[in-house]
Amino acid sequence: MQLPMPQTKAASQKLSYLGDLQCSDCGKSFSADEIHTFCPDCQAPLLVNYDLNAARQHVDRDQIHARAKGMWRWHEFLPVIERQNMVTLGEGDTALLEVSRIGNQLGLSNLYLKDESSNPTGTFKARGLSAAVSKAKELGIKKVIIPTAGNAGGAMAAYAARANMQALIYMPKDTPNANIVESRIAGAEVILVDGLISDAAGMAGEKARDEGWFDVSTFKEPYRMEGKKIMGYELAEFFDWTLPDVIIYPTGGGTGLVGMWKAFAELERLGWLENTQRPRMVSVQAEGCAPVIKAFHAGASFCDFWLGAQTLASGLRVPKSFADRMILANLRESKGTAVAVSDTAILEAQKNLAVMEGIFAAPEGAACLAALTELVKQVWIKPDERVVLFNTGSGLKYLDQKN
Amino acid sequence: MTSHVLYIEDNPDNMTLVRRALEARGYTVLEAINGMNGVSTAEREDVDLILLDINLPDIDGYEVARRIRNSTKTALAYTPIIAVTANALKGDAEKALDSGCDVYMSKPINIRELWARVEAFVPAPASN
Repeated sequence: MQLPMPQTKAASQKLSYLGDLQCSDCGKSFSADEIHTFCPDCQAPLLVNYDLNAARQHVDRDQIHARAKGMWRWHEFLPVIERQNMVTLGEGDTALLEVSRIGNQLGLSNLYLKDESSNPTGTFKARGLSAAVSKAKELGIKKVIIPTAGNAGGAMAAYAARANMQALIYMPKDTPNANIVESRIAGAEVILVDGLISDAAGMAGEKARDEGWFDVSTFKEPYRMEGKKIMGYELAEFFDWTLPDVIIYPTGGGTGLVGMWKAFAELERLGWLENTQRPRMVSVQAEGCAPVIKAFHAGASFCDFWLGAQTLASGLRVPKSFADRMILANLRESKGTAVAVSDTAILEAQKNLAVMEGIFAAPEGAACLAALTELVKQVWIKPDERVVLFNTGSGLKYLDQKN
Repeated sequence: MTSHVLYIEDNPDNMTLVRRALEARGYTVLEAINGMNGVSTAEREDVDLILLDINLPDIDGYEVARRIRNSTKTALAYTPIIAVTANALKGDAEKALDSGCDVYMSKPINIRELWARVEAFVPAPASN
């Protein structure tokens, strides 16, 4: 499928500096003007390239700072080339809060929390699905399908509705009720699966192949990560174009972790960073489903499929990410680490965030505080380091899991 | 000396992809397009490793694994079996291991991971 070139002539007026797609394993190039999923040769995720040399000449970081708030103010580094294809509900530019009461309790003087719960549909999934559905619209796709642990399904349903696309969602039957309700009210067909997200993924993949749905599974199309990466751009801007020392991030599929690492590389190439020190990335998973943690500490380059995955943090019940190699490589490159936390510790942390900071975090976000507590005990973090926790969603979406 | 990998898989696209990937590393790939054919090929040929799709048109991969492990050809009791499947239902990974498979992989099969998984059991002839 061929797309028209941007209507603007001057490079400085480009909406997007989108280049090609590139296999994360073999490096083979694919056109971004055509529909692609993942590399057909390696069966590995595709990464989106931009003409960053041109962008460096024509895009001013301060101009972007002055634009109206939202993820799409970074449109030069997002994949949509015609403005009318942007499908937005006002995602992005979430609060980066100082959490000094908890910081003081832990002996940390520069502790922040990036609160993604203010995104449309209440979670960070809005970012990725805004980007993916927008690009799908631009490529002429009419119906989208997704396997989900819950929140990505709700987000896809909302953005698909706004883009007038058909939406089909496979989710585990014990997914939080909010995800089922929000998906159905947006017009999506929801199929509940007796299994995990990996089981849902198998079914959705088969349906996509048989009936021509476009599968927006994590990393099985290239663009969700582009939306998520903007979290990294926002962090750099907030810290006056420097990066924090440590980022603690809950890892299910790993799109945000890999996406932010990509953002930091892009920011370096743009010459926008005031220093070259990248954060140490910390992957957080639940003890009941910790494939990344196991592989990281074993020195493996990919994860084993986690058997019997079980945790109350439904977003962390991912037995194996399709991008496990990239997650592990990014963690190691960053000199980061990986921490598994118990459900009990997640619930304690969730309560602490609410009592001490007024933040009703999703269990996945609370897991980051539980991991931080562990890392402080291990003296892995220095007291004056700038540390950012990620709360990926609102606790309000998990009310059926509360007593 | 070449190493023989038996791939039991009914999907021709997957068969082609994996064959090419393994041949690129120097392995010889034997093909079987259903479970019964897979069991008989394993019993007839010298096989160093078996890649086993779970969703097959006749007997499923679990039954294939059980028959291979219980074969009168004693070498098959120890031949590594890597299970691969696209649409696992809950507990399928556990069932694959319980039925005699050594490792479980989910589709899409990442080729670098496939190489690593296979080479963990059978060194790649091309890299000798």
